[in-house]
Amino acid sequence: MNSPKIPGSLAFRAVLVALAVGCAADAALAQRPRFRRPDGAGGRPQPQQAEPEAPAEEKKVESWTAIRGGDVYLGDGTLLRRATVLIGDDKIHAVGHEVEIPEDATILEAEGKVVAPGFCIVKASGFGAPRSGEDVRDGMNPFDPTIKMGLAAGITSFLWQNGSGNDKPGGNSSLVKLAYGDLEGMVGPSDSVKTMRVPLNPQQMKTFRDLVKQAREHQDAVREAAKDDKKPAPKPPRGTEDILKILDGETRLWISMGGGSRMFRGGGDGGGDDTTEIRQAMEIASLLGRGVVLDDPVCAWVIADEVAATGSMAIVNPRNRVPSREGFEDSTGSNIAQAAILHDVGVPVAVTAPGGRFGGSGVGTGGILGQDLNTPHVDAAFAVRGGMPNRQALRTLTLDAARIMGVEARVGSLEVGKDADVLILDGDPLHYKTFVDTALVNGKVAYVRAEEPYYRHIRR
Amino acid sequence: MSSFRPNSCAALAVLALTAAASLPAQEGEERSIDIYYGSKPTEYQVAIWGPDSVPSPGYAFRCARILPVTSEPIEDGVVLTRNGKIVAYGKADEIAVPDGFEVMDLGDTWCVPGLVELHCHIAADGFDLNDTVHQTNPEMRTLDLITMGHQQMVDARAGGVTTVLYIPGSGSNMGGFGTLTKTWGRNPQEALIRFPGCLKVAQAGNPERRSGDLGLGPMGMNEGLRLTFEQGKAYHEEWVAWEKGEGPKPEKKANLELLRGLFRHEYPVAVHTQIYQVAQQTIRQLRLELGLWTVIVHGTFDAYRLSEFAQVSGVPIANGPRQYHFDSGRGWGSGSGAESSFVGLADAWYSGGQHGWQEPVKGVGIDGIAVNTDSPVVAQEELTLQCAMAVRLGLPDAVGLRALTINPARFMRIDDRVGSIEVGKDADMAFWSGDPIDPRSHVRMTVINGNVAYRRDPRHPRF
Repeated sequence: MNSPKIPGSLAFRAVLVALAVGCAADAALAQRPRFRRPDGAGGRPQPQQAEPEAPAEEKKVESWTAIRGGDVYLGDGTLLRRATVLIGDDKIHAVGHEVEIPEDATILEAEGKVVAPGFCIVKASGFGAPRSGEDVRDGMNPFDPTIKMGLAAGITSFLWQNGSGNDKPGGNSSLVKLAYGDLEGMVGPSDSVKTMRVPLNPQQMKTFRDLVKQAREHQDAVREAAKDDKKPAPKPPRGTEDILKILDGETRLWISMGGGSRMFRGGGDGGGDDTTEIRQAMEIASLLGRGVVLDDPVCAWVIADEVAATGSMAIVNPRNRVPSREGFEDSTGSNIAQAAILHDVGVPVAVTAPGGRFGGSGVGTGGILGQDLNTPHVDAAFAVRGGMPNRQALRTLTLDAARIMGVEARVGSLEVGKDADVLILDGDPLHYKTFVDTALVNGKVAYVRAEEPYYRHIRR
Repeated sequence: MSSFRPNSCAALAVLALTAAASLPAQEGEERSIDIYYGSKPTEYQVAIWGPDSVPSPGYAFRCARILPVTSEPIEDGVVLTRNGKIVAYGKADEIAVPDGFEVMDLGDTWCVPGLVELHCHIAADGFDLNDTVHQTNPEMRTLDLITMGHQQMVDARAGGVTTVLYIPGSGSNMGGFGTLTKTWGRNPQEALIRFPGCLKVAQAGNPERRSGDLGLGPMGMNEGLRLTFEQGKAYHEEWVAWEKGEGPKPEKKANLELLRGLFRHEYPVAVHTQIYQVAQQTIRQLRLELGLWTVIVHGTFDAYRLSEFAQVSGVPIANGPRQYHFDSGRGWGSGSGAESSFVGLADAWYSGGQHGWQEPVKGVGIDGIAVNTDSPVVAQEELTLQCAMAVRLGLPDAVGLRALTINPARFMRIDDRVGSIEVGKDADMAFWSGDPIDPRSHVRMTVINGNVAYRRDPRHPRF
């Protein structure tokens, strides 16, 4: 059969991945322009983004599925009205208005519906994945009912984390896909993310600098050794393994702010200011010549341009409330506009659910609703409340979330070659009343609202 | 308002709107629930009321739409306020702005009545609301803890919340007496609506935290509550007898004085109650046996199966913080076809229904349901999100906004003051960028008692 047509204009434009050059980051840092819009060509590091890998050879597609006639959000901010998504086996094969549907394709009618990429959740627990300390593959339960609840919320993948780094990168992670009943389909790439925290004290910072230096020297040694076939590849110095992966761009580094700025609701005194911690994270980014991921900063909105200058990204809970210090309202405290301000200067943002005893990513779908992972689209809606445009806010659950998880080559948008993780929704993706009608994971229908007990009883 | 009279055209417009056929019951008409208030006291001997009006300039708030709640929406509207009260509202081209009134152009915003929260613990610092000195603490009160500048009060205003029932926690069976207060005032005295706003009772689902002691199962806890209430009732009856000249003047007892007001029906008991058996105890014991004006302010888990019992007993429901019950199908739900479903609690209380295990029953209806946050369990500013979740799980849109405004106001019998945009009511309102239930909308300005209590800073918006 003929390969379906893909209108050229619809293929994703290749995103410029600027060479990560440490000195460029330093130069950009020195300027510190206020709220500068990214020009993309200024030579500064851009947030990392990998393209889907082209298959080594044209594989014969055995099973076709076409989602026809819906309003399709690609996940990168683009909306195609009344378009078709063609899935070949487990991958997106074509998206557009003039897609030729093979005769034997299974058709899912989506007229009057909305089609979007499955949501990628940066922080979650449950969904059949084991707790920390276990092997992700050995501990997985592909028949855990919370997988269906996650799918009902639009979640098709999340980053499973096992332990975390402290004063240097550490912990393990794996992409987990909500492929109900399919163990092999559930486990994705591993260790796309390493974590650490700031603040580092001067001694810890020195140790970190030394490790980066050793890692760079090792890279040089490897390059040197490659010139000579007989010479064995040198072994990496102890403690540099994870840093090497980050330098090579294989792994994203998440840095948490340590919660030093926090004030407990109604008490405590953290000053509402974590810019010192954020700046140290930016120093680490410059040292590595790679953007990092700020994990739940409070005041990144105050120094958004500095964050942008390093090519870094951020995980944000828009509803997070940390009071300002009195008299310093312009430079301290949480800001519901943080996601919008970061987005405006070119910092990709992923949203996460608010924490707490009755909600948050830790409780998964077991919270009290509106605070947990039963409604991730509401967290993106709060980014809109802070000024982010609707379509960009959808990126906080799709493409930009996948970039932050380091798995954008696999998931996060309806780009040809990516995993066919697709939602058919009964309305605007960020409207509080919208439900998932159908969720596909790896090209297979994994959830149908009308066939599952969770929400089928709700009538309008 | 000596210098101002609404023109006749506007008055007619307001009349026409309030008479619209689709509107819920007016005064004296039948409502979906006949809330049991007891006998209305001819005088308040125990409760104290805050000022009925407070100083505020003359303002004319112009906006794209007014949602008065108790009447139909008005496009291109204006609301005139002065000295803490709404003096007129209607279409902008039908209401003349009197001399001396400053025009506030709120552009494309929607004017929504200030929201009313019936389950709030935010006005003081931290969790200092659970002083479990005894298992029942009728001598405690929140009145003296209120801090107007508290960050969560600021956040409440940023979320359009203007009236809260600020209550003790649920760490003991009787946490003490709560306060009905505005979320802004030049001082707490000015912000006060009524003290006590209510008595807080927690029947289960927290106060048993010290289990292991004797008498801390559901039956034991209720026995403790009953003993305290019986003491209060006996004390109340001594005063009634004295007033009738049938007995000696009783000695004042500080620890029972506020319970007396409860039996005089000056204020209700607001009950943290959840789970079928416990809510059943609430309605039977507090409302039917003790004859108290009773409001449920938790109502979670499977308590909604009592919707008809609540309706016929005149007990209204403020539901929250949890907005769903996950019916696992293992209990009474088995065989019902409702297994493992997300039952929307507000909708289940509101509409009644088969409830999974019995013949269909009545709900509390359009006048009987409110939602709340239990802040800071759910942040105070997220009250509208609670409503969004209730609507997501089936509560009709038309009920949603009422569940945040006029309904909770009626449950507290302060609906002559707050809960809707009406002439003569307190000038409490917020101007929203769009549909207030949609989390994507924000508040641009909040007005309390006719004063501007919050303005959104576009660079650093609070919420």
